Amino acid sequence: MTDRADELSLSRCGACHARFLPNDGPCPRCGSKEVETFLSPPLGVVLAATEVTSPAEGWRPPHRLALVELPQSVRVLAIVEGEVPISGTVVSVRRDGDVYRAKPEPGAMRP
Amino acid sequence: MSSHVSAIGLGRYGKRPESLVDLAAEAANLALEGIGRKPIDLLVVGSMMAYGPHGPEALLPRLASRLGLEAAQGLRVDSASGTGGMAFHAAAIALESGRFQRALVIAAEKMTDRTTAVITRALAASLHSSEVAAGATMPALAGLITQRYLDRFGYTTSICDRASIHARAMAVDNPTAHFQKAVTASEVQASRAVALPLRLLHCSAISDGATALILERGQGPATVLGLGQAFDALRLVDRDDLTTFGATRLAAERAYEGARLSPKQVQVVEVHDAFSPFVYQHIEDIGLCARGEGPRYFESGAARRDGKVPVNPSGGVIGRGHPVAASGLAEVAEVALQLRGEADRHAIARRPKVGLAQAMSGLATHNFVTILGAAG
Repeated sequence: MTDRADELSLSRCGACHARFLPNDGPCPRCGSKEVETFLSPPLGVVLAATEVTSPAEGWRPPHRLALVELPQSVRVLAIVEGEVPISGTVVSVRRDGDVYRAKPEPGAMRP
Repeated sequence: MSSHVSAIGLGRYGKRPESLVDLAAEAANLALEGIGRKPIDLLVVGSMMAYGPHGPEALLPRLASRLGLEAAQGLRVDSASGTGGMAFHAAAIALESGRFQRALVIAAEKMTDRTTAVITRALAASLHSSEVAAGATMPALAGLITQRYLDRFGYTTSICDRASIHARAMAVDNPTAHFQKAVTASEVQASRAVALPLRLLHCSAISDGATALILERGQGPATVLGLGQAFDALRLVDRDDLTTFGATRLAAERAYEGARLSPKQVQVVEVHDAFSPFVYQHIEDIGLCARGEGPRYFESGAARRDGKVPVNPSGGVIGRGHPVAASGLAEVAEVALQLRGEADRHAIARRPKVGLAQAMSGLATHNFVTILGAAG
Protein backbone atom coordinates (compact mmCIF):
# COMPACT_ATOMS: atom_id res chain seq x y z
CA MET A 1 0.00 0.00 0.00
CA THR A 2 1.29 3.47 -0.86
CA ASP A 3 -0.29 6.52 0.72
CA ARG A 4 -0.93 9.77 -1.07
CA ALA A 5 2.02 12.11 -0.65
CA ASP A 6 -0.01 14.55 1.45
CA GLU A 7 -1.29 12.11 4.04
CA LEU A 8 -0.26 9.06 6.04
CA SER A 9 -2.51 6.25 7.35
CA LEU A 10 -2.10 5.72 11.09
CA SER A 11 -3.97 3.61 13.67
CA ARG A 12 -6.11 4.56 16.64
CA CYS A 13 -7.38 2.18 19.31
CA GLY A 14 -11.15 2.30 19.74
CA ALA A 15 -10.84 1.10 23.35
CA CYS A 16 -7.96 3.08 24.94
CA HIS A 17 -7.61 5.75 22.20
CA ALA A 18 -3.86 5.18 21.85
CA ARG A 19 -2.49 6.26 18.48
CA PHE A 20 0.18 4.13 16.87
CA LEU A 21 1.83 3.06 13.66
CA PRO A 22 -0.23 0.40 11.79
CA ASN A 23 0.95 -3.04 12.86
CA ASP A 24 -1.49 -5.61 11.42
CA GLY A 25 -2.33 -6.60 15.00
CA PRO A 26 -4.03 -5.46 18.20
CA CYS A 27 -3.40 -2.19 20.05
CA PRO A 28 0.16 -2.37 21.44
CA ARG A 29 -0.97 -0.62 24.61
CA CYS A 30 -4.14 -2.46 25.68
CA GLY A 31 -4.43 -5.41 23.28
CA SER A 32 -7.85 -4.40 21.93
CA LYS A 33 -8.60 -5.50 18.37
CA GLU A 34 -10.84 -2.48 17.88
CA VAL A 35 -8.35 -0.62 15.71
CA GLU A 36 -9.38 2.21 13.36
CA THR A 37 -7.41 3.98 10.64
CA PHE A 38 -7.04 7.74 10.52
CA LEU A 39 -5.20 10.02 8.13
CA SER A 40 -2.45 12.31 9.32
CA PRO A 41 -0.38 15.02 7.68
CA PRO A 42 2.90 13.32 6.69
CA LEU A 43 5.29 15.69 8.44
CA GLY A 44 7.30 14.70 11.48
CA VAL A 45 10.37 15.54 13.54
CA VAL A 46 13.52 13.40 13.73
CA LEU A 47 14.02 12.08 17.29
CA ALA A 48 17.26 10.27 16.42
CA ALA A 49 19.06 9.11 13.30
CA THR A 50 21.97 6.85 12.44
CA GLU A 51 23.97 5.47 9.55
CA VAL A 52 24.37 1.69 9.56
CA THR A 53 27.52 0.26 8.04
CA SER A 54 26.16 -3.32 7.88
CA PRO A 55 22.39 -3.12 7.38
CA ALA A 56 20.05 -6.11 7.45
CA GLU A 57 19.78 -8.35 4.40
CA GLY A 58 18.51 -6.69 1.27
CA TRP A 59 20.03 -3.27 1.96
CA ARG A 60 23.38 -1.82 1.04
CA PRO A 61 25.50 0.58 3.08
CA PRO A 62 25.46 3.39 3.76
CA HIS A 63 21.96 2.83 5.10
CA ARG A 64 20.42 5.68 7.07
CA LEU A 65 17.59 5.26 9.51
CA ALA A 66 15.63 7.74 11.59
CA LEU A 67 13.11 7.52 14.38
CA VAL A 68 10.54 10.14 13.51
CA GLU A 69 7.80 11.55 15.70
CA LEU A 70 4.62 12.23 13.73
CA PRO A 71 1.64 14.28 14.98
CA GLN A 72 -0.17 12.87 18.04
CA SER A 73 3.06 11.24 19.25
CA VAL A 74 2.97 8.39 16.73
CA ARG A 75 6.49 7.21 15.97
CA VAL A 76 7.90 5.60 12.87
CA LEU A 77 11.22 4.02 11.92
CA ALA A 78 12.01 5.36 8.45
CA ILE A 79 14.73 5.00 5.86
CA VAL A 80 16.30 8.41 5.28
CA GLU A 81 16.77 9.76 1.79
CA GLY A 82 19.96 11.84 1.79
CA GLU A 83 22.41 12.60 4.59
CA VAL A 84 21.85 11.64 8.24
CA PRO A 85 19.58 14.37 9.63
CA ILE A 86 20.28 15.89 13.02
CA SER A 87 17.70 15.48 15.76
CA GLY A 88 14.89 18.00 15.41
CA THR A 89 14.96 18.08 11.59
CA VAL A 90 11.49 18.27 10.00
CA VAL A 91 10.93 15.44 7.51
CA SER A 92 8.11 14.24 5.29
CA VAL A 93 7.32 10.54 5.65
CA ARG A 94 5.74 8.26 3.06
CA ARG A 95 4.94 4.60 3.02
CA ASP A 96 6.66 2.56 0.35
CA GLY A 97 5.44 -1.03 0.40
CA ASP A 98 6.66 -2.61 3.67
CA VAL A 99 8.81 0.34 4.73
CA TYR A 100 8.58 4.04 5.43
CA ARG A 101 10.84 6.67 3.90
CA ALA A 102 11.72 10.07 5.32
CA LYS A 103 12.95 13.11 3.43
CA PRO A 104 14.21 16.30 5.08
CA GLU A 105 11.92 19.28 4.41
CA PRO A 106 14.10 22.30 5.19
CA GLY A 107 11.35 24.82 4.42
CA ALA A 108 8.55 23.09 6.31
CA MET A 109 7.12 24.30 9.61
CA ARG A 110 7.51 22.04 12.63
CA PRO A 111 4.29 20.02 12.77
CA MET B 1 11.76 -22.09 50.38
CA SER B 2 15.10 -20.38 50.02
CA SER B 3 17.92 -21.34 47.70
CA HIS B 4 21.48 -20.13 47.33
CA VAL B 5 24.38 -20.25 44.90
CA SER B 6 26.86 -22.74 46.36
CA ALA B 7 29.42 -23.00 43.56
CA ILE B 8 30.35 -21.22 40.35
CA GLY B 9 32.06 -22.62 37.25
CA LEU B 10 33.56 -20.14 34.85
CA GLY B 11 35.10 -21.10 31.55
CA ARG B 12 37.21 -18.54 29.75
CA TYR B 13 35.28 -16.36 27.27
CA GLY B 14 36.77 -15.53 23.90
CA LYS B 15 37.59 -17.28 20.67
CA ARG B 16 37.72 -20.92 21.71
CA PRO B 17 38.39 -23.96 19.52
CA GLU B 18 36.06 -26.24 21.51
CA SER B 19 32.48 -27.16 20.59
CA LEU B 20 29.41 -25.85 22.39
CA VAL B 21 29.04 -29.07 24.40
CA ASP B 22 32.71 -29.04 25.38
CA LEU B 23 32.49 -25.44 26.57
CA ALA B 24 29.31 -26.13 28.54
CA ALA B 25 30.81 -29.28 30.09
CA GLU B 26 33.99 -27.45 31.09
CA ALA B 27 32.05 -24.80 33.06
CA ALA B 28 29.68 -27.43 34.47
CA ASN B 29 32.52 -29.62 35.73
CA LEU B 30 34.14 -26.66 37.48
CA ALA B 31 30.85 -25.95 39.28
CA LEU B 32 30.33 -29.63 40.15
CA GLU B 33 33.85 -29.87 41.57
CA GLY B 34 33.02 -26.85 43.71
CA ILE B 35 30.41 -28.91 45.62
CA GLY B 36 32.45 -32.12 45.68
CA ARG B 37 30.17 -33.65 43.02
CA LYS B 38 27.18 -33.94 45.32
CA PRO B 39 24.06 -35.25 43.56
CA ILE B 40 22.18 -32.97 41.15
CA ASP B 41 18.48 -33.50 40.56
CA LEU B 42 17.78 -30.67 38.14
CA LEU B 43 19.73 -29.59 35.07
CA VAL B 44 18.78 -26.25 33.50
CA VAL B 45 20.49 -25.35 30.24
CA GLY B 46 20.23 -22.19 28.19
CA SER B 47 21.56 -21.44 24.73
CA MET B 48 20.26 -19.17 22.02
CA MET B 49 22.00 -20.70 19.01
CA ALA B 50 22.55 -24.31 20.03
CA TYR B 51 24.42 -25.42 16.96
CA GLY B 52 27.07 -28.10 16.97
CA PRO B 53 29.40 -29.24 14.21
CA HIS B 54 26.53 -31.11 12.51
CA GLY B 55 23.70 -28.63 12.98
CA PRO B 56 21.15 -28.05 15.74
CA GLU B 57 22.28 -29.61 19.01
CA ALA B 58 19.97 -31.52 21.38
CA LEU B 59 21.81 -29.79 24.16
CA LEU B 60 19.94 -31.01 27.22
CA PRO B 61 20.20 -34.81 26.76
CA ARG B 62 23.69 -34.45 25.35
CA LEU B 63 24.89 -32.61 28.45
CA ALA B 64 23.01 -34.92 30.82
CA SER B 65 24.82 -37.82 29.22
CA ARG B 66 28.19 -36.08 29.12
CA LEU B 67 28.00 -35.04 32.78
CA GLY B 68 26.57 -38.33 34.05
CA LEU B 69 23.34 -36.67 35.13
CA GLU B 70 20.85 -39.02 33.50
CA ALA B 71 19.14 -39.48 36.86
CA ALA B 72 18.30 -35.77 37.06
CA GLN B 73 15.44 -33.92 35.37
CA GLY B 74 15.98 -31.14 32.86
CA LEU B 75 14.71 -27.85 31.48
CA ARG B 76 15.99 -26.00 28.43
CA VAL B 77 15.32 -22.28 28.20
CA ASP B 78 15.80 -19.63 25.54
CA SER B 79 15.25 -15.90 25.76
CA ALA B 80 17.78 -14.54 23.27
CA SER B 81 20.53 -12.60 25.05
CA GLY B 82 18.61 -12.83 28.32
CA THR B 83 18.76 -16.64 28.28
CA GLY B 84 21.27 -16.91 31.13
CA GLY B 85 19.10 -14.74 33.36
CA MET B 86 16.09 -16.85 32.47
CA ALA B 87 17.98 -20.09 33.16
CA PHE B 88 18.77 -18.89 36.67
CA HIS B 89 15.17 -17.79 37.30
CA ALA B 90 13.83 -21.11 35.98
CA ALA B 91 16.08 -23.03 38.38
CA ALA B 92 15.20 -20.80 41.34
CA ILE B 93 11.47 -21.10 40.68
CA ALA B 94 11.78 -24.89 40.28
CA LEU B 95 13.64 -25.17 43.62
CA GLU B 96 11.04 -22.95 45.25
CA SER B 97 8.38 -25.49 44.26
CA GLY B 98 10.01 -27.98 46.62
CA ARG B 99 10.38 -30.63 43.91
CA PHE B 100 14.17 -30.36 43.67
CA GLN B 101 17.13 -30.19 46.02
CA ARG B 102 20.05 -29.04 43.90
CA ALA B 103 20.24 -27.61 40.38
CA LEU B 104 23.10 -27.27 37.92
CA VAL B 105 22.46 -24.21 35.74
CA ILE B 106 24.46 -23.86 32.53
CA ALA B 107 24.34 -21.15 29.89
CA ALA B 108 26.58 -21.47 26.85
CA GLU B 109 27.08 -20.13 23.36
CA LYS B 110 29.36 -20.95 20.46
CA MET B 111 29.58 -18.07 18.01
CA THR B 112 33.02 -17.57 16.51
CA ASP B 113 32.66 -20.46 14.06
CA ARG B 114 30.11 -18.41 12.10
CA THR B 115 30.41 -15.22 10.06
CA THR B 116 29.41 -11.83 11.45
CA ALA B 117 26.59 -11.72 8.87
CA VAL B 118 25.14 -14.99 10.17
CA ILE B 119 25.40 -13.82 13.79
CA THR B 120 23.86 -10.43 12.97
CA ARG B 121 20.92 -12.19 11.32
CA ALA B 122 20.50 -14.52 14.30
CA LEU B 123 20.50 -11.59 16.74
CA ALA B 124 18.01 -9.69 14.57
CA ALA B 125 15.54 -12.54 15.20
CA SER B 126 14.71 -10.78 18.46
CA LEU B 127 13.71 -7.56 16.65
CA HIS B 128 10.29 -6.74 15.16
CA SER B 129 9.96 -7.92 11.55
CA SER B 130 9.11 -4.40 10.35
CA GLU B 131 12.41 -3.14 11.77
CA VAL B 132 14.43 -5.82 9.99
CA ALA B 133 12.46 -5.10 6.78
CA ALA B 134 13.63 -1.48 7.02
CA GLY B 135 17.26 -2.65 7.19
CA ALA B 136 17.65 -2.25 10.96
CA THR B 137 19.98 -4.45 12.98
CA MET B 138 20.52 -4.64 16.73
CA PRO B 139 23.39 -2.09 16.62
CA ALA B 140 21.31 0.20 14.36
CA LEU B 141 18.49 0.43 16.90
CA ALA B 142 20.97 0.67 19.78
CA GLY B 143 22.56 3.60 17.91
CA LEU B 144 19.19 5.35 17.70
CA ILE B 145 18.51 4.77 21.41
CA THR B 146 21.95 6.09 22.31
CA GLN B 147 21.54 9.21 20.14
CA ARG B 148 18.21 9.89 21.83
CA TYR B 149 19.81 9.56 25.27
CA LEU B 150 22.66 11.94 24.34
CA ASP B 151 20.22 14.55 22.99
CA ARG B 152 17.70 14.23 25.81
CA PHE B 153 20.23 14.67 28.60
CA GLY B 154 22.72 16.90 26.77
CA TYR B 155 25.77 14.61 26.65
CA THR B 156 28.41 14.09 23.96
CA THR B 157 29.72 10.77 22.65
CA SER B 158 32.54 10.98 25.21
CA ILE B 159 30.19 9.30 27.71
CA CYS B 160 30.00 6.29 25.37
CA ASP B 161 33.79 6.14 25.27
CA ARG B 162 34.01 6.40 29.06
CA ALA B 163 31.67 3.42 29.44
CA SER B 164 33.85 1.29 27.14
CA ILE B 165 37.01 2.38 28.96
CA HIS B 166 35.50 1.39 32.33
CA ALA B 167 34.39 -2.02 31.04
CA ARG B 168 37.72 -2.87 29.48
CA ALA B 169 39.66 -1.66 32.55
CA MET B 170 37.57 -3.93 34.79
CA ALA B 171 38.04 -6.92 32.45
CA VAL B 172 41.83 -6.70 32.77
CA ASP B 173 41.48 -8.05 36.33
CA ASN B 174 39.12 -10.85 35.32
CA PRO B 175 41.09 -13.86 34.05
CA THR B 176 38.06 -15.40 32.29
CA ALA B 177 37.17 -12.22 30.33
CA HIS B 178 37.53 -12.17 26.56
CA PHE B 179 39.43 -8.86 26.64
CA GLN B 180 42.56 -8.59 28.74
CA LYS B 181 43.75 -5.20 27.53
CA ALA B 182 42.49 -1.75 28.53
CA VAL B 183 41.49 0.80 25.89
CA THR B 184 41.89 4.58 25.68
CA ALA B 185 39.42 7.20 24.48
CA SER B 186 41.40 7.73 21.30
CA GLU B 187 41.37 3.99 20.54
CA VAL B 188 37.60 3.89 21.02
CA GLN B 189 37.12 6.96 18.81
CA ALA B 190 39.42 5.50 16.15
CA SER B 191 37.49 2.23 15.94
CA ARG B 192 35.24 1.93 12.89
CA ALA B 193 31.72 3.31 12.84
CA VAL B 194 29.01 0.65 13.27
CA ALA B 195 25.86 2.74 13.73
CA LEU B 196 26.92 6.22 14.83
CA PRO B 197 27.21 7.34 17.55
CA LEU B 198 28.17 3.69 18.18
CA ARG B 199 31.60 2.53 17.07
CA LEU B 200 33.06 -0.97 17.18
CA LEU B 201 34.52 -0.57 20.68
CA HIS B 202 31.12 0.53 22.01
CA CYS B 203 29.63 -2.78 20.85
CA SER B 204 29.90 -6.19 22.50
CA ALA B 205 32.08 -8.76 20.78
CA ILE B 206 31.21 -12.10 19.25
CA SER B 207 32.57 -14.63 21.76
CA ASP B 208 32.40 -18.29 22.71
CA GLY B 209 31.89 -19.22 26.31
CA ALA B 210 29.93 -20.90 29.06
CA THR B 211 29.08 -20.22 32.68
CA ALA B 212 27.65 -22.69 35.16
CA LEU B 213 26.58 -22.54 38.77
CA ILE B 214 24.99 -24.67 41.43
CA LEU B 215 21.79 -23.44 43.02
CA GLU B 216 20.65 -25.45 46.01
CA ARG B 217 18.15 -25.32 48.83
CA GLY B 218 19.20 -23.47 51.94
CA GLN B 219 20.95 -20.22 52.71
CA GLY B 220 24.40 -18.78 52.23
CA PRO B 221 26.09 -15.50 51.33
CA ALA B 222 24.50 -15.68 47.83
CA THR B 223 20.91 -16.55 48.74
CA VAL B 224 18.19 -15.69 46.20
CA LEU B 225 16.41 -12.70 47.74
CA GLY B 226 14.40 -11.40 44.82
CA LEU B 227 13.56 -12.27 41.22
CA GLY B 228 11.80 -10.06 38.70
CA GLN B 229 11.24 -10.20 34.99
CA ALA B 230 9.19 -8.12 32.56
CA PHE B 231 8.41 -7.56 28.89
CA ASP B 232 8.35 -4.37 26.86
CA ALA B 233 6.89 -3.60 23.42
CA LEU B 234 8.82 -5.53 20.78
CA ARG B 235 8.54 -2.69 18.26
CA LEU B 236 10.68 0.24 19.33
CA VAL B 237 8.20 2.82 18.00
CA ASP B 238 5.57 1.51 20.41
CA ARG B 239 7.62 2.56 23.47
CA ASP B 240 6.86 5.94 25.02
CA ASP B 241 10.38 6.76 26.13
CA LEU B 242 13.56 5.51 24.49
CA THR B 243 15.89 6.79 27.19
CA THR B 244 14.77 4.19 29.73
CA PHE B 245 14.10 0.46 29.47
CA GLY B 246 10.64 -0.23 30.85
CA ALA B 247 11.32 -3.97 31.09
CA THR B 248 14.22 -3.35 33.48
CA ARG B 249 12.29 -0.87 35.59
CA LEU B 250 9.39 -3.27 36.05
CA ALA B 251 11.62 -6.32 36.56
CA ALA B 252 13.61 -4.39 39.19
CA GLU B 253 10.46 -3.22 40.92
CA ARG B 254 9.26 -6.83 41.13
CA ALA B 255 12.63 -8.07 42.39
CA TYR B 256 12.94 -5.35 45.05
CA GLU B 257 9.40 -6.05 46.21
CA GLY B 258 10.12 -9.78 46.50
CA ALA B 259 13.35 -9.10 48.37
CA ARG B 260 11.75 -6.40 50.56
CA LEU B 261 14.76 -4.24 49.73
CA SER B 262 15.25 -0.82 48.19
CA PRO B 263 17.89 0.19 45.61
CA LYS B 264 19.79 1.94 48.45
CA GLN B 265 20.64 -1.45 49.97
CA VAL B 266 22.36 -2.85 46.89
CA GLN B 267 26.17 -2.88 47.18
CA VAL B 268 27.34 -4.26 43.81
CA VAL B 269 25.66 -4.55 40.41
CA GLU B 270 26.25 -6.35 37.13
CA VAL B 271 24.20 -4.99 34.24
CA HIS B 272 23.86 -5.98 30.59
CA ASP B 273 25.93 -3.46 28.63
CA ALA B 274 25.63 -5.11 25.22
CA PHE B 275 26.36 -1.58 23.94
CA SER B 276 28.56 0.34 26.36
CA PRO B 277 26.36 3.45 26.87
CA PHE B 278 23.44 1.19 27.87
CA VAL B 279 25.20 0.85 31.22
CA TYR B 280 23.88 4.33 32.11
CA GLN B 281 20.25 3.53 31.34
CA HIS B 282 20.57 0.25 33.22
CA ILE B 283 21.90 1.74 36.45
CA GLU B 284 19.23 4.44 36.28
CA ASP B 285 16.52 1.84 35.65
CA ILE B 286 17.54 -0.27 38.66
CA GLY B 287 17.51 2.86 40.82
CA LEU B 288 21.22 3.37 41.49
CA CYS B 289 20.89 7.00 40.40
CA ALA B 290 18.29 9.36 38.92
CA ARG B 291 17.30 9.50 35.22
CA GLY B 292 20.03 11.08 33.10
CA GLU B 293 22.54 10.91 35.98
CA GLY B 294 24.28 7.66 34.92
CA PRO B 295 27.23 9.38 33.24
CA ARG B 296 27.77 11.63 36.29
CA TYR B 297 27.64 8.56 38.53
CA PHE B 298 30.54 7.11 36.53
CA GLU B 299 32.35 10.45 36.37
CA SER B 300 32.31 10.70 40.17
CA GLY B 301 34.13 7.37 40.49
CA ALA B 302 31.13 5.69 42.17
CA ALA B 303 31.12 2.84 39.63
CA ARG B 304 34.73 1.78 40.35
CA ARG B 305 35.63 -1.20 42.51
CA ASP B 306 36.29 1.17 45.41
CA GLY B 307 33.26 3.35 44.57
CA LYS B 308 29.87 3.81 46.25
CA VAL B 309 28.22 0.88 44.41
CA PRO B 310 30.62 -0.72 41.93
CA VAL B 311 29.20 -1.42 38.46
CA ASN B 312 30.25 -4.44 36.37
CA PRO B 313 33.44 -5.37 38.26
CA SER B 314 33.72 -8.39 35.93
CA GLY B 315 34.13 -6.14 32.89
CA GLY B 316 30.47 -6.44 31.91
CA VAL B 317 29.35 -7.66 28.53
CA ILE B 318 31.75 -5.26 26.79
CA GLY B 319 34.83 -6.44 28.67
CA ARG B 320 33.91 -10.05 29.40
CA GLY B 321 32.80 -10.77 25.84
CA HIS B 322 29.29 -11.74 24.79
CA PRO B 323 28.49 -15.40 24.19
CA VAL B 324 24.87 -14.22 24.10
CA ALA B 325 23.05 -16.84 26.16
CA ALA B 326 25.87 -17.09 28.70
CA SER B 327 26.08 -13.38 29.55
CA GLY B 328 22.94 -13.29 31.69
CA LEU B 329 24.24 -16.12 33.87
CA ALA B 330 27.73 -14.59 34.01
CA GLU B 331 26.11 -11.49 35.53
CA VAL B 332 24.51 -13.56 38.29
CA ALA B 333 27.73 -15.56 38.73
CA GLU B 334 29.79 -12.38 39.19
CA VAL B 335 27.45 -11.07 41.88
CA ALA B 336 27.60 -14.47 43.60
CA LEU B 337 31.42 -14.47 43.48
CA GLN B 338 31.53 -11.00 45.05
CA LEU B 339 29.09 -12.00 47.79
CA ARG B 340 30.95 -15.24 48.51
CA GLY B 341 34.30 -13.48 48.66
CA GLU B 342 35.62 -15.51 45.73
CA ALA B 343 36.13 -12.73 43.16
CA ASP B 344 39.87 -12.69 43.73
CA ARG B 345 41.56 -9.99 41.61
CA HIS B 346 38.22 -8.49 40.51
CA ALA B 347 36.82 -8.35 44.05
CA ILE B 348 35.34 -4.97 44.98
CA ALA B 349 36.95 -3.00 47.80
CA ARG B 350 34.47 -4.05 50.50
CA ARG B 351 32.85 -7.47 50.37
CA PRO B 352 29.13 -6.81 49.71
CA LYS B 353 26.10 -8.30 51.48
CA VAL B 354 23.57 -7.60 48.71
CA GLY B 355 24.10 -7.56 44.94
CA LEU B 356 21.95 -7.23 41.84
CA ALA B 357 22.28 -8.71 38.35
CA GLN B 358 20.31 -7.51 35.34
CA ALA B 359 20.02 -9.39 32.04
CA MET B 360 18.47 -8.14 28.83
CA SER B 361 16.85 -10.02 25.96
CA GLY B 362 17.03 -8.52 22.52
CA LEU B 363 16.62 -4.77 22.68
CA ALA B 364 15.28 -4.84 26.25
CA THR B 365 12.09 -6.67 25.29
CA HIS B 366 12.33 -9.22 28.11
CA ASN B 367 14.58 -8.39 31.02
CA PHE B 368 15.54 -10.20 34.22
CA VAL B 369 16.62 -8.81 37.58
CA THR B 370 18.09 -11.06 40.25
CA ILE B 371 18.91 -9.93 43.78
CA LEU B 372 21.25 -12.13 45.82
CA GLY B 373 22.56 -11.65 49.33
CA ALA B 374 22.92 -12.90 52.85
CA ALA B 375 19.44 -13.87 54.07
CA GLY B 376 17.84 -12.13 57.06
